[in-house]
Amino acid sequence: MTADATAISVAQTVARSGELIRVAGLTKSFGDIEVLKHVDLSVAEGEVVSILGRSGGGKSTLLRCLNLLETPSGGTIEVSGRRVFADGIIASQRNVLELRKDLGMVFQSFHLFPHLTAVENVALGLLEVRRKPREEALEIAVELLDKVGLVEKATSLPGALSGGQQQRVAIARALALRPKALLFDEPTSALDPESTIDVLRVMRELSAEGMTMLVVTHELAFAEHVGNRMVLMDGGEIIEDDAPAAVRESSNPRTRSFFQSYSE
Amino acid sequence: MLFDGFDWAYFFAGLPKALGMTLAFTAAAFVCAIVVGVLVAIMRTARVLPMRWFATGYTELFKNLPLITAIYIIYFGLPSLGIKLDVFIAGTVALVFFYGAYLGEIFRGGFLSVDKGQREAALAMGMRPSRVVTKIILPQAVRVALPGAGTMMVDLLKGTSLLVTIGGAELMTHAATVVSITYRPLESYTLIGLVYFALCFPLSRLVSGLEQRIASGVPLSPVRADLLRRARELVAARVAILEPQRVAR
Repeated sequence: MTADATAISVAQTVARSGELIRVAGLTKSFGDIEVLKHVDLSVAEGEVVSILGRSGGGKSTLLRCLNLLETPSGGTIEVSGRRVFADGIIASQRNVLELRKDLGMVFQSFHLFPHLTAVENVALGLLEVRRKPREEALEIAVELLDKVGLVEKATSLPGALSGGQQQRVAIARALALRPKALLFDEPTSALDPESTIDVLRVMRELSAEGMTMLVVTHELAFAEHVGNRMVLMDGGEIIEDDAPAAVRESSNPRTRSFFQSYSE
Repeated sequence: MLFDGFDWAYFFAGLPKALGMTLAFTAAAFVCAIVVGVLVAIMRTARVLPMRWFATGYTELFKNLPLITAIYIIYFGLPSLGIKLDVFIAGTVALVFFYGAYLGEIFRGGFLSVDKGQREAALAMGMRPSRVVTKIILPQAVRVALPGAGTMMVDLLKGTSLLVTIGGAELMTHAATVVSITYRPLESYTLIGLVYFALCFPLSRLVSGLEQRIASGVPLSPVRADLLRRARELVAARVAILEPQRVAR
């Protein structure tokens, strides 16, 4: 469906100050199963949005639709003023590549490249995507590894790192591209409690620096204390989208049943 | 006594040419078989069904056909259809078809072993799909396929000996010629066996060594070695700056 002819209309500029991501009427079906049902979401620069919900509620699919790893069935997606998806049509490949530079992604199971050392994992995007000279790419990569507390592991292969260390390298890798926002898909779900603390600490620091983040998570404490917005998804719909405290106080029975299952 | 009065001079006179022939068959067939194997592996994972059927049919056919049958069909059979190939071409084609089927299976296993998250992670970084294949998928698939492909290369080298049946002029043909002149089969065939061993054993060790080097993450290309050396320097410099601060804290 990628077509340059549609690129002009699809990539039209949408002026709206401070708004980074805008999703309207987004739907996604896998065969007969409707995973996303008309989702609307708008994220401003600097916001930390936690996306909570039961498994199968569409959280990860929403995140994966944003950078078009998953092709939505309908609706529109605009990222930093660029319309990258509209009514079944994906923008040109160039626009998709630009979109992916804007939205860094961190996966549940890290997906570091196992044949490359930590520093190469981080530098790869700089060399391949940002086309930085080698020396500059390495300097940035080493600096970022230091930022996530892993400079001493720079020349280790991912296989020699713990889960938490791998995830921190993955965060550095995503940061290397200087994205406008980071998408986290259950970043701590595969980690032990100690590693979880390390990864959440890095994420908290990023939020303090003003990084825009969308975080699919089961970490209620993070969502309440670090996130400034809480989105609750259930059955492919957004049933709550408000400040964490407000969502916690919601009288919506679906919301209450979700938080109840947490305290059990 | 063994080797008593054995015509060494005759044996050694023809050896270099026969050795060259064996190596030529091996090199030509292995390079082409790799190309066929990669194509078959890609076709077997293709979305287009007829492509998959064709590749699967080819693989099953040559996996279940003795190599010598393939050699005979191509060299002795095809001339009936007006296709007459010289010994080198016929022998190479037979080896390529046969080993291409096995290498296809090995490469397919290599591609399938790469987690689909790897592709997604690379795409999510904004890498072009073609670069994702060359920088991320292929290097990992090759690592998995290397031991199997190396074993196949050694097997192919030994497999060239079957070309004695069509007068391939390689090592085994040379041994047979020596026997026909000297009437000393034990000595001739033992010697040629030693030559095969002397070729195959180091080759096997070389492949194992390469495998271990790759697994340990040692850079194979000078460009990557250089990059890692520079990375180590930058890390050392950074640690040197930070360490006193940490100690002070």
